[in-house]
Amino acid sequence: MPGWLASGLVYASGLALTSGGITFLYITTRTFNFAHASMATFGFYVVYTFVALKGGNPYIYFPLAFLFGSLLGIIVYFILNRPLLKRKANEITLMMSTLGYDLILLSLIQMYCDYLTHTYKLYPRRVTMSVYDIQIGGMNASTYFAPITAVLIITALSLFLTRTKFGIAMRATIENTPLSEASGINSDKVYMTSWVIGGGMASLGGAVLAMATTGSPVLGMNLIANMFAGAILGGLYSIYGGLFGGFVVGLAEYAIVYWLAESVGTWVLGYRLAIPLLIMVVTLLFFPRGLAGIQWRRIFKSLSSKKGEAS
Amino acid sequence: MLSIKNLYSGYGKLRVLYDVNVEVPKKEITVIVGPNGAGKTTLLNSILGFADVFSGKIYLDDKDMTGTPAHRIAQLGISFVPQLGSVFANLTLKENLIMAAYTLPKKEVDKRMEQVLEMFPIIKEFFHRKAGTLSGGERRMLSIGMGLMRNPKIMLLDEPSTDLAPLITKEVMRTIKRLRDEIGLTVLLVEQMAKLALDIGDNAYLLVSGQIKFKGKAKELLQHPELSKLYLGIKE
Repeated sequence: MPGWLASGLVYASGLALTSGGITFLYITTRTFNFAHASMATFGFYVVYTFVALKGGNPYIYFPLAFLFGSLLGIIVYFILNRPLLKRKANEITLMMSTLGYDLILLSLIQMYCDYLTHTYKLYPRRVTMSVYDIQIGGMNASTYFAPITAVLIITALSLFLTRTKFGIAMRATIENTPLSEASGINSDKVYMTSWVIGGGMASLGGAVLAMATTGSPVLGMNLIANMFAGAILGGLYSIYGGLFGGFVVGLAEYAIVYWLAESVGTWVLGYRLAIPLLIMVVTLLFFPRGLAGIQWRRIFKSLSSKKGEAS
Repeated sequence: MLSIKNLYSGYGKLRVLYDVNVEVPKKEITVIVGPNGAGKTTLLNSILGFADVFSGKIYLDDKDMTGTPAHRIAQLGISFVPQLGSVFANLTLKENLIMAAYTLPKKEVDKRMEQVLEMFPIIKEFFHRKAGTLSGGERRMLSIGMGLMRNPKIMLLDEPSTDLAPLITKEVMRTIKRLRDEIGLTVLLVEQMAKLALDIGDNAYLLVSGQIKFKGKAKELLQHPELSKLYLGIKE
């Protein structure tokens, strides 16, 4: 497997998890969560702290990243999102509140980094997590574990939403909150669970992303545009679309940058961020409902009928 | 059974209902008619906890239920069939019925589902299909079936004739009447199509600009001059 594809798969998997989390929170609570940036960074620091202090490979701490991220999600919900939802705040207010929260979280992460340096003599402001990685078949294990983690989360989420009573209740609330409440479903519990899942996905996504990029307090902040590009490409009204969109944006970013660097020169690496932004602009201009909003079945049908006519 | 006393309600700073008094007796159909914007849906929203109650009280079986959160209303024995979005279009019919009885134990859900399917064979026919694929009339039957899943003390119906062909509307009205006659269901029916609703109703209220202008027997209201003016276009 070419090097760019191996790293690209890890990066795309991390982006899929974070973009999926953004979409999930948006369709359940109408909140565009900018705090996703620092929640992802938080996940990286959970894994880094355990690896640096307790040892072992990063993957054994991935469940902890999800768990701690979920707890962070609960805190955001109760302190910030719930009071605003109760006051029927509009989407702009909800979004701006998460931006404020993101800045607070970023400051706390900066303080935590100083704490690690002063107390444990660690240097957490520029971490290459891949040095802690293990090798499988001559490749970094993250090449396998990152996509497996993303697929496991998608499968678990899918089973939860289609096979459990509460999961179906979440889908019901997403679609029609007044009717679900009139049916006895507590939307408050649904929103809280969304933050548990969304927070967990952000944090786990951050831990995965750190396996392909440099871990720093601004890890999430540097990638927030990419995360949103993934969510928008997937279609903001489809959970699976968000996950898929994040994956496509991540992989496209690596593939295009690799191709441009080969053909134009390595100086283009500095303009890497233009790729997800371009994807976001094209999506919003030409198919604003994203990949999930395109009627693929109709397209395939017309393509196959044209093929039939030609033959 | 359901009693609304001196209700003033609305949304935020907007007042919609003024001193509304309504009594819904057991095992009868009580009809609220009125023109567009009269506050009919707000009345139901006030009962269901979706609107803001400024003053007044709402009692169910003499127990004050004013201000009860929306998701607890279902547990009190009130089921609701909304005017629009009355089913979960992205869920299957089976999932819709399960959601309608969300807080009931599984055994009870299975039992209720059997009874509802017996009453509405059309639901059984499309049991595993998504509700969004149903026609308007089929959706309305499903939504009434969903309302019955909790074996409710009272069912609130908001303009069940909306978006339906006249023949289907008549069938829906017949179904509501059948539920009162066969299982003794108490119904609070809000409807703009006054004649259809008053034909099956026992008691009636005329709501105009947020105020009750008439209360009495449904048949009497059919003769009321205000009703004629509002619905037949006869001006004062």
